Amino acid sequence: MARILVIEDDAATAQEIVTELGAHGHETVHADNGDTGLDEATREPFDLITLDRMLPGIDGLALVERLRERRIHLPVLMISALSDVDERIAGLRAGGDDYMTKPFASNEMAMRVEVLLRRQAQQPADEAILRVGGIEIDLIRRKVKVDGEPIRLLHMELRLLEFLARHAGDIVSRKIIFEKVWGYYFDPGANLINVHIARLRKKLDRPGKPSAIVTVKGEGYRLDAV
Amino acid sequence: MLADRLRVRDIRNTSTFRLTFLFGVVFLLGVTILLGLIYGLSARELTRRSDRILRLEAAMLEQTSADTLPNRIRGEIARSAGGLNYFELRSIDGDHVAGDIRVGDLPPNDTPVERVAGDGKPMRLLAVETPSQETLLIGRDISPVVDLRRQVLMILIASGLITVIAVLFCGFLLSLAPLRRVRDLQRAIETISGGDLEARMPLAGRGDELDLFAGTVNQMIDEIERAIGQVKGVTDAIAHDLRTPLTRVRSQLYRLSQSSEVQAPAVRMIDAATSDLDTVLERFGALLRISELEAGRRRAGFEPVDLAALLARMQELYEPLAEDQGITLMLDVAERGTAPGDEKLLFEALSNLVDNALKFTPPGGRVTLALATDAHGPVIEVRDTGTGIAADERQAVIRRFHRGSNAAEVPGNGLGLSLVVAILHLHGFTLGFRDGLPGLVVEVRCHGHGSEEAVKFISLAGASPAAHLDGAGQEAVAV
Repeated sequence: MARILVIEDDAATAQEIVTELGAHGHETVHADNGDTGLDEATREPFDLITLDRMLPGIDGLALVERLRERRIHLPVLMISALSDVDERIAGLRAGGDDYMTKPFASNEMAMRVEVLLRRQAQQPADEAILRVGGIEIDLIRRKVKVDGEPIRLLHMELRLLEFLARHAGDIVSRKIIFEKVWGYYFDPGANLINVHIARLRKKLDRPGKPSAIVTVKGEGYRLDAV
Repeated sequence: MLADRLRVRDIRNTSTFRLTFLFGVVFLLGVTILLGLIYGLSARELTRRSDRILRLEAAMLEQTSADTLPNRIRGEIARSAGGLNYFELRSIDGDHVAGDIRVGDLPPNDTPVERVAGDGKPMRLLAVETPSQETLLIGRDISPVVDLRRQVLMILIASGLITVIAVLFCGFLLSLAPLRRVRDLQRAIETISGGDLEARMPLAGRGDELDLFAGTVNQMIDEIERAIGQVKGVTDAIAHDLRTPLTRVRSQLYRLSQSSEVQAPAVRMIDAATSDLDTVLERFGALLRISELEAGRRRAGFEPVDLAALLARMQELYEPLAEDQGITLMLDVAERGTAPGDEKLLFEALSNLVDNALKFTPPGGRVTLALATDAHGPVIEVRDTGTGIAADERQAVIRRFHRGSNAAEVPGNGLGLSLVVAILHLHGFTLGFRDGLPGLVVEVRCHGHGSEEAVKFISLAGASPAAHLDGAGQEAVAV
């Protein structure tokens, strides 16, 4: 369970976020303007902030910059009605950790929150070897073993596996995978990511064992320890 | 499509040329009638004079007695200077008695006719019967009249030829300037009818009938542009306003599907409804994104994009999908090239083109991502060995929601190429199609110079960001 500060001036959107994060077992505090949000963020400890880009009072971009100035390095998920790539870049440059556009699917938002929380949790232990069940990824030598047996992965397959491994146990949507692994923000179509996953799965799967990459219907994929 | 060069046929068909030609023909007809009248009157007068002289001569000779008439005739012949007059006397039996006329058949009595004399000269010939019933033939050289006739004819032919040539030349010259202007107007109309509602008919500033016409058409386009802008605004507003409530409905459905109280059959129905909502939201999203891109002014933030690296990443991304479909995805980079742009947007545009190529290429086919350079800069080509796009459909496929005639079996929302157009427009790049023989070649010219088939993009055209065919040449285009 995490404590999350929801800074959002639109009551309906705020309710949406609070309900969804509550359903995922997180505790939320809502601030409906930038000034209150900044006060809350500096006064109380939070694990993550969801931040509207355009707010009455301090603007979302300015707010995240102030937070960083005050050495508050909470992960920030910026949410904005502005979808243009420039806006996304501006949001991330200002110090946002992820960016999503309104309107958003609430489960997608929750997924992003989980991804950010997981990343935050992993940051101090930025180990050289990632292990998920029988999968072992040597991040320095860029080598992968499954049940002790080396397998050969292509560059992007390794990056995909590394991303899934860093968020093992979390459901990640195809959109998030495309953004985080390939670095692009458009929707390339479900099929494209599916075939990349299928290829990776084929290399990881071992006879007699369930697949480590689980497809969650309608949502995305999850890497499980098997 | 307009040919670049004016052809004789084009000029021949202009109303200016036809009018000039008509005036020329009327003028020629007038000249012919005038010369004909002058000739006719002159010739008749000269002939009358000759006939009068012939009758006077005949009257004088008739008074001469039959015995002395042959000698008189010989005397007259001797006196006739330069052979101007001809004489002959024939007996009652028709035998030659005296004189220098040798004609076969005799003309009717007392009626002058035209004949050729023994020395080959033209003459008027009069036959009269003397009191002694002999036949007296008197001829008079009419070479001057015949010469006059010939000269008039020559003048007529020469002036006719000169007039015809002058008329053709003037008609050509007079037609050229208006025809060029009409061509400019035609080109403007082609651009406009191709969907570029920012284009206008050129005005010469002379206030002539073509300017009046062009001005009226421009007013009409202003109105159409305004109306389309309104329609587009309404469409975008609907998409924008519906997106938020629909997303909330989706979220509620999602939560419902996660609820333990809902039975499995209901979950399946909820999932189906969610999937449908996703399709609607995806279309709204794409529509608004296109509008956003069309309204964008991003060039200031552009940076040099390594196009070869971009294509390599593209191949890396799509190779598994291609392999899955039994298609070979190849890279053909002749030389490296860079173009100022937004790497992420260009990747998105190319991704759409590659996705299309893979959708329309059958298993066993090939899709090639090529980078080359033309005189103006880098050119990216996406070549496939698929079904291609019919030449007459190429303009339509870039319109929003347009799906090609061969796309019925292929999933898609008909917005992909509109998005490509919007992104390339933002970069000032051009898009063109040509036959791959087999398949299709989609060209992205990473500079402002389009090929013959290049598409000129427009920023509004609510329902249709459309194409414009630039210049003459190969076949028609679409995107």
